Amino acid sequence: MKACRKCHILTNRSTCPYCGESTSDNWQGYLIVIDPNNSKIAEKAGLKMPGKYALKVR
Amino acid sequence: MAIFVVKTQVGQEENVANLFEKASKRTGKIYAILAPKELRGYIFVEGENKETVKRIIRHMRYARDMLDKEVEIEEIEHFLFPPSAVANIEEGMIVELVSGPFKGEKAKVTRIDDAKEEITVELLDAMVPIPITVRGEQVRVLKKKEG
Repeated sequence: MKACRKCHILTNRSTCPYCGESTSDNWQGYLIVIDPNNSKIAEKAGLKMPGKYALKVR
Repeated sequence: MAIFVVKTQVGQEENVANLFEKASKRTGKIYAILAPKELRGYIFVEGENKETVKRIIRHMRYARDMLDKEVEIEEIEHFLFPPSAVANIEEGMIVELVSGPFKGEKAKVTRIDDAKEEITVELLDAMVPIPITVRGEQVRVLKKKEG
């Protein structure tokens, strides 16, 4: 999977389907947000959308 | 809701996170799963309660156990924002290369690329200074600044 350089969401595409930014193979750390409305982790990370995210993208 | 620490087989942290996501579709009550790169053999699972998490890991491959104590979000928030690998490196610093073909060599930092988290160095023992670009994690700072 690749990670969006801007919003950090993981995708198989070469551009992010949500923000249109290019994606990168070089990422680290893994966060799955299932229910952002009930998650303190998602709130702290500023994520409002369910999905799989990278914590660090280069 | 609370955050729990789940022990996993080392190297299977992402797999266990994915298995939790699958299990959450069946059981609900799991809100987020965090697998920081720095932490090997452990992940954080945010869920409704301890019993839910315990029940899920009972039949899960690669998951070993969970710690009894809950963790607070403040204790793990630093994992959400990993620092840059070049955050503590400045131009002119003397560093030691800790991996790669030049492992053990000392070098002077000549350029820093914050976006790529790479640095360019010149080996101190080289007859002709040739710039080498390496990742920020590949060096250890020896001296703040030369001179």
